[in-house]
Amino acid sequence: MPKLLIVDDELDVREFAANFFRKRKVEVTTAVGGEEALSILDNFKPELVLLDIKMQGINGIETLKRIREKDKDLKVIMVTGKKPDEDGSLNICQQLGVLDYIHKPLELAELEKIVMGALK
Amino acid sequence: MIYYLFSCILVAVTSIVVGCFVFLKNTRAPVNRTWFVLTLSIGMWSFGYAMTLASSNMQEAMFWNRIVYTGAIFIPSTFLHFVLTLLNLTSHKKKLILTVYIGSIVFLFFIPTNLLIKDPVSILNTFRYFTRAGILYPFYVIFYITLSGYSLYKLFEMKNRFSGFQRNQIIYVIVASIIGFVGGSTNFALVMGVRIHPIGHPLVALYPIIISYAIVRHRLMDIRIAVTRTGIFVVVYSLVLGLPFAVAFWLKDWLIETFRASWWILPLGLMAALATVGPFIYIYLQRKAEDRLLADQRRYQDTLKQASIGMTRIRDLQRLLDLIAHIMTKTVRITYVGIYLFDAGSGEYVLQVSRDKGRLPVPKLASSNPLVNWLILKPQPLIYDEIKLRAQDSSDLAHKQLEENMRLLTAAVIIPSFLENRLLGFIVLGEKISGHIYTQEDLNVFQVLAGQAALAIENAQFYEEAKKMQEQIAQAEKMATIGTMADGLSHQINNRLYALSLIAGDTIDTIKLTDTTKCTPEVKEMIGQINYALERIQANVMQGGEVVRGLLKYSRQGDSGLDALDLHTILNNTLEMVQYKVKLSEIDIVRDFPPNIAKIKGNLTQLEEAFFNFIDNAYDAIVERRTLLKEAGYRGRITVSAYPKDEHLEIVVEDNGLGVKEADMKKIFTPFFTTKTSSHKGTGLGLYVIKRIITEMHKGQISFESDYKVGTRFIIQLPIAK
Repeated sequence: MPKLLIVDDELDVREFAANFFRKRKVEVTTAVGGEEALSILDNFKPELVLLDIKMQGINGIETLKRIREKDKDLKVIMVTGKKPDEDGSLNICQQLGVLDYIHKPLELAELEKIVMGALK
Repeated sequence: MIYYLFSCILVAVTSIVVGCFVFLKNTRAPVNRTWFVLTLSIGMWSFGYAMTLASSNMQEAMFWNRIVYTGAIFIPSTFLHFVLTLLNLTSHKKKLILTVYIGSIVFLFFIPTNLLIKDPVSILNTFRYFTRAGILYPFYVIFYITLSGYSLYKLFEMKNRFSGFQRNQIIYVIVASIIGFVGGSTNFALVMGVRIHPIGHPLVALYPIIISYAIVRHRLMDIRIAVTRTGIFVVVYSLVLGLPFAVAFWLKDWLIETFRASWWILPLGLMAALATVGPFIYIYLQRKAEDRLLADQRRYQDTLKQASIGMTRIRDLQRLLDLIAHIMTKTVRITYVGIYLFDAGSGEYVLQVSRDKGRLPVPKLASSNPLVNWLILKPQPLIYDEIKLRAQDSSDLAHKQLEENMRLLTAAVIIPSFLENRLLGFIVLGEKISGHIYTQEDLNVFQVLAGQAALAIENAQFYEEAKKMQEQIAQAEKMATIGTMADGLSHQINNRLYALSLIAGDTIDTIKLTDTTKCTPEVKEMIGQINYALERIQANVMQGGEVVRGLLKYSRQGDSGLDALDLHTILNNTLEMVQYKVKLSEIDIVRDFPPNIAKIKGNLTQLEEAFFNFIDNAYDAIVERRTLLKEAGYRGRITVSAYPKDEHLEIVVEDNGLGVKEADMKKIFTPFFTTKTSSHKGTGLGLYVIKRIITEMHKGQISFESDYKVGTRFIIQLPIAK
């Protein structure tokens, strides 16, 4: 069963996204922030991380950097509610090698396509 | 004797001198030519007259007397010819002119005989030799009176058919002719044996002077003023010079008795005193008389002066122009007033206000118009009558063009309005309702008014500009605030929307995956309703996302580097982007410009954004027209054409969609304004963003034309890359 880690400080996002992908036979674990995500990573070993950029504590970009320190090939999809190219985050993310960079809000069907595509 | 000799020489010299002057001024004009011939006749007559008076023997006197009448018999015929030429009647009266000349020639044959005039012997002691009438002489008198009378009658009759300058000119000729002929007629009595001195003779000298003035000068003084001034001058100076002489003449004996040898001191003192006071009296009387004569004119001139001072206080341009037009038509009582102002946008002089009586005014003049050029080169009022005369007299093309343009504008007078060296505009005036001419004083007042008007107009324009600028600044500030707020809010809102989207999406998904076959129909229906509600939530969430995205685009400061861009590339990229939203197979997209069209200096992302919105809007308009009008065979079409225009590329994006309603035209560039009714209602930011991109980021221009139910055209100008 493919493994997905959803990192988002929004309870609703974590809960409903997890629920949705579980129905699609994906093993989902959620984290409320960067620190929790990093601590889960070693044990859970997900194939894909859905990582929100703007979070309390360590933000998405910083989390991504630390992920890359551990694992250069882990598939990461960044999720942002900010302006697409503000502060050049898109650029940084691309340099750090992310699979996709998606903007909130998007339809669930769209998210499904991207995530399931990445997990295949 | 000396008096008459002097007056004869005066008449002869003035006639010939001014006649030659008028002739040389314009040798081709018929009026000048016929006038020249007339002055020659008068000159010959008067010169011969003088020589007759000065003759020392009968034979000599007889010779000069024949010269006198050689001139005299041609005066009536040449006068008639001159008058008919002045009145433009020569072509109708050819036979008459020929007949009177034949008449004069017939008289010429009698000059060597004693039938017309006999040996010059005077019946008065004053003259040694003076013409004596022969048997045929009364015929000459009849000839003279008939032709002069007829000519004067014609002048009177035709006077009112002319207007402005020509009318005034005719009045001058009438006045001068009456003076001249009255003066000249005083000669008849003595010739015919009646003992009356030809005292009016010197008046004849005035005649050629006045008429020559009327022919040569284009801007004549009001005849009433001319007559009054002359009258007052004659009266005042007759008194100044005459009174001391009268005193000396009548009271000489008494003075000698009283003052002895120094008797002359009193008249001389009187003369000195009167000569000092004379000019003051003259000016005083002149002013009084003219105040009276020109009461009307003075009144409106005062009104205009006052109005022109008050004008600078008015800040509303349209009100100001209306006011100028109003005071001019009402106070001066003019048939037509039109005010043209320079429009920097189009580079044309555009009619702003028009007060007219049933005429179709010319809406605008290009700044290359000869009339405009003329005003810039010669910043003076233009008078149609003058220009017409100059156009007739000279072969200069500029005059002809000017005359034509003034005629098209139906302008009697054009007053230019300058600010420093800029021709801000001009005022076109029709004729006065009274038919009077525009006097020099009128023009002076108008020029003052035009100067003040220029200031006031500049003032009002500046004020309007400042107001607009302020509004723009306020608007920009508002937008900047929205932008900043949008920045901060967007993340929050997007997070909420994202959560909503996931909640709705996941629940719909759960419903889909749940087996509901065992549920009762009521429950099934309820689930159906919940599903529908969730779908609506999802749709609304996505639309909310669009709004936030629009705001973010608006507040984007982003990179604004400008590169040389190919319009084809921009369009290709846009079409790629737009195909997710627009069903490109449903419409035709036409590119009406060559493959090697000039490159635009612009920012690719921004221009893609702009074109995205253009195509998106056009598509929506096409869909709306299709659903609303349901025309058979209708197919949407978006045409993009482009051509270089000076330093810009003019791009026209045209669609055959529903178009914009008249009432919405003004608002289409306003943020958050939308008329879209389709399911994916717009954010109302599309055209606002376009406008910002085109005008602010690219320093270009955008305008649009639209006909409801026909289509819309956007005209964009973007700088060409060098």
